Amino acid sequence: MSFGSWLELIASGLITGGVYALVALGLNLQYGLMRVLNIAHGEFLMVGAFLTWWAHTQLGVSPLLMVPVSFVLLMALGMAIHRLTFRRLARTSPNLDVFEARGLMVSFGLMFVVQNFAQLLWGGDLRGYDFMADPVRIPGPGGGAQFAANKLLLLALALAFSTALIVVLRKTLYGKGVRALMQSPTGAQLVGIDTTRLHPLMFGIGLGLSGVAGCLLSMTYTISPSMGEPYTVTALIVITLGGFGSMAGALAAGLALGVIEAVGMHFTSPSLKSLLSYGIFIAVLLWRPNGLFARK
Amino acid sequence: MKLHIKPALARDLLVLFALTGWALAIPYFGSEFMVSMALTCLMYAALASSWSLFCGTTRYLSLATAAFFGVGAYTGAILLEQIGWFGAITLGAAVAAAVAVVMGAAVLHLRGTYFAVLTFGMTELIRHAITWWEKQVTGTVGRVLAVVPERDTVYLTVLALAVAAIGVSIMVRRSRFGLAMAGIGADEQRAQTLGVNTRLVKIGGFALTAAFAGAVGAAMSARWTYIDPATVFNPFIGFQTVLIALIGGAATLWGPLIAAVVFSLLAETLRLQAPQVYMMSLGLLLILCVLYLPGGLASLRTATFGQWRDDTSQWWRERTRAGKKGAR
Amino acid sequence: MNGHPLLEARAVTVRFGGLVAVDAVSAAFAPGELVGIIGPNGAGKTTFFNALSGVVEVSSGELFAQGRRLTGASPHRYAHHGIARTFQTPRVFAELSVAANIDFGLQFAGRKRDASWLLKDEASILHLIGLAAQAGLPAGAITPSQQRLLEIGMALATRPRLLLLDEVAAGLTEGEVDQMAQLIRRLRDELDLTVIWIEHAVTTLLNYVERVIVLHQGRKIADGTPAEVVRHAEVVDAYLGDEMVEAP
Repeated sequence: MSFGSWLELIASGLITGGVYALVALGLNLQYGLMRVLNIAHGEFLMVGAFLTWWAHTQLGVSPLLMVPVSFVLLMALGMAIHRLTFRRLARTSPNLDVFEARGLMVSFGLMFVVQNFAQLLWGGDLRGYDFMADPVRIPGPGGGAQFAANKLLLLALALAFSTALIVVLRKTLYGKGVRALMQSPTGAQLVGIDTTRLHPLMFGIGLGLSGVAGCLLSMTYTISPSMGEPYTVTALIVITLGGFGSMAGALAAGLALGVIEAVGMHFTSPSLKSLLSYGIFIAVLLWRPNGLFARK
Repeated sequence: MKLHIKPALARDLLVLFALTGWALAIPYFGSEFMVSMALTCLMYAALASSWSLFCGTTRYLSLATAAFFGVGAYTGAILLEQIGWFGAITLGAAVAAAVAVVMGAAVLHLRGTYFAVLTFGMTELIRHAITWWEKQVTGTVGRVLAVVPERDTVYLTVLALAVAAIGVSIMVRRSRFGLAMAGIGADEQRAQTLGVNTRLVKIGGFALTAAFAGAVGAAMSARWTYIDPATVFNPFIGFQTVLIALIGGAATLWGPLIAAVVFSLLAETLRLQAPQVYMMSLGLLLILCVLYLPGGLASLRTATFGQWRDDTSQWWRERTRAGKKGAR
Repeated sequence: MNGHPLLEARAVTVRFGGLVAVDAVSAAFAPGELVGIIGPNGAGKTTFFNALSGVVEVSSGELFAQGRRLTGASPHRYAHHGIARTFQTPRVFAELSVAANIDFGLQFAGRKRDASWLLKDEASILHLIGLAAQAGLPAGAITPSQQRLLEIGMALATRPRLLLLDEVAAGLTEGEVDQMAQLIRRLRDELDLTVIWIEHAVTTLLNYVERVIVLHQGRKIADGTPAEVVRHAEVVDAYLGDEMVEAP
């Protein structure tokens, strides 16, 4: 295989991986902070995708503009959902295990509601639109490589949002509060960190990231109401690989998984992609439940 | 085992007997539509009751029902001609139970959410594996069942499985095995220090739930006459089972059955016109139940309504009091 | 009865990541002993109990019950070998009745074990620990100190030979602590048990036990009679202080 082909292969893996990372970071934020395993996460990605598609095809809004718009909209939705459901759960659950189980069930219900609502509104067909689909040539040895502009944009924005989140969590006071809460909920509350404000906000941000991922995806791929589930599963695989609660781990694992899938599919067969992902998932959960990067 | 039957046991058995009698009458007096609806209802009653038997008591939420159902369906479809109806059902149950033992041994030492996610992952893995196998190795897309028993045979078999699922639940609840599972659900480590071999109990319970799902799958494959991985390993089968069991009340005896009936009615009325509305209402009901009625429909008592009324009036008082304090 | 000690820990070490909670502690327990374990907070006492009952895995070292190697076995095997324990914060089955909680142990570990007539069924055990009046109440509805007694009852229902009691007197008034200590003494005497007792109420404990083990930062720093231990220099330094030396 030529250098150019390798570059294209790995880069396409990174592009899918960038989206995986973005979705996984949102899920990680919710689970690591609040112990809510939101298996409806992918559905909100789908909502972001459909909102962008609708805004673009019906109102003529540029998808680029929809990137921040979908973030804000989905963040607001996330905060509302948290207030209506998970907040009450946190109050009424006798212990953490029960809360986790109930949270899982609520998100289960949400998955049904959101996916079918979308199907009701927009129908089950595949939708899509063209945006920045012209190829861009990247020079390099052996003729370089060629990518669609929208895919490069996808990678760039996904990485930008991911690193922004990580930086915010590491550097700002707010972010440090979140990380403190993740490590020790009681300790953090004792030093005055306000969970009632922080939880819905972080849940919202998680969902917002998912929406942005959906918006970005709609620029390059076709969308459908059932597109969310595979991304939820992939996000789960990613945060398992990277370690629950570890942001940098989720970023690294997301990119890695994208590349592994691309390379794996190229050398074996595309129908084995799911088998490969699930196999890795189960293997990691069984042998290294703390994630590949955890110190023992 | 005590030979005299206590009143509570007698009551449960009597209810079961009455319901069975009523269900038996349907094929002879009901329309084709009614039989079809009753069959779906019985299928989910069997699946949800056997699911609750293990998952409701131990609180290990399994999303693997579709895996066991599909394994049973494939076993039944492939071997029906060779080993006959009864053999197909039994073998379907046995193979599913074997899969459960392997899966359980690998996975049952993990905590609640991990376990749920893993069982889902393994179900999908099995589905993709069988899809790939059928395409690459055997070269078929689906399986056709050429020789199938009559509609009434299938109906009676599924009815028998539903009755068995509830009957076994009645017995297990009163046994040491059931007590062990309840202990695991309440405080697993505590139960261990009191002498419960939790690993064995969990694998056993998991296998039991799988056996029922496998048997039901084998039976339904005959009803559908054509199966492929997408239909019999459809995760929705597992999701709906779990939803029904949770809404009905996973830790109760009759909850899953009640919910199965309610949802069969809902499904048949809504599914053709507005399947999305049906699914949305399932999801919404689950959310409402988890938030306001964690014990499920079966735990609904007159006292619960009083509790809700008190909660609402207190909430209202707090809002109006906050309003009087002035806008913030 | 063979010549082996009832329970023996050999250089048991328990590590959590980088933290060594129990550091090469060895101890052997004979039938009928009444042993106290004391030490400052974080000394590893409860972790040691967790190791002795199989609840936590030992990182290195061995555990033997009457000569049989139990290292690495799961907790139910320890229970079947007659090792019972209570938990520091009572872990009762809140939804079941008090009587059903006691019955649980009788149904499992206690099922095939011989025991004195005092432990023959849940009524006798309830009577022994003084909770007969609360038999029908749900375990979640009784007071915390009653739950402590229930914990002991649940452990007794497994018909043990050795009872590990973890701070059963915490939060009780002085009079209640004395009552608890007397109950423990009685249990040891009448049921022919070995009792190992972690306690912070050091003065009371020293009056009732016959042997004391002192843990500090995971290590065993003393093991002897109460009189010997209070004079032990390292113990005085680390934990008890000078006033204890004067106590009779």
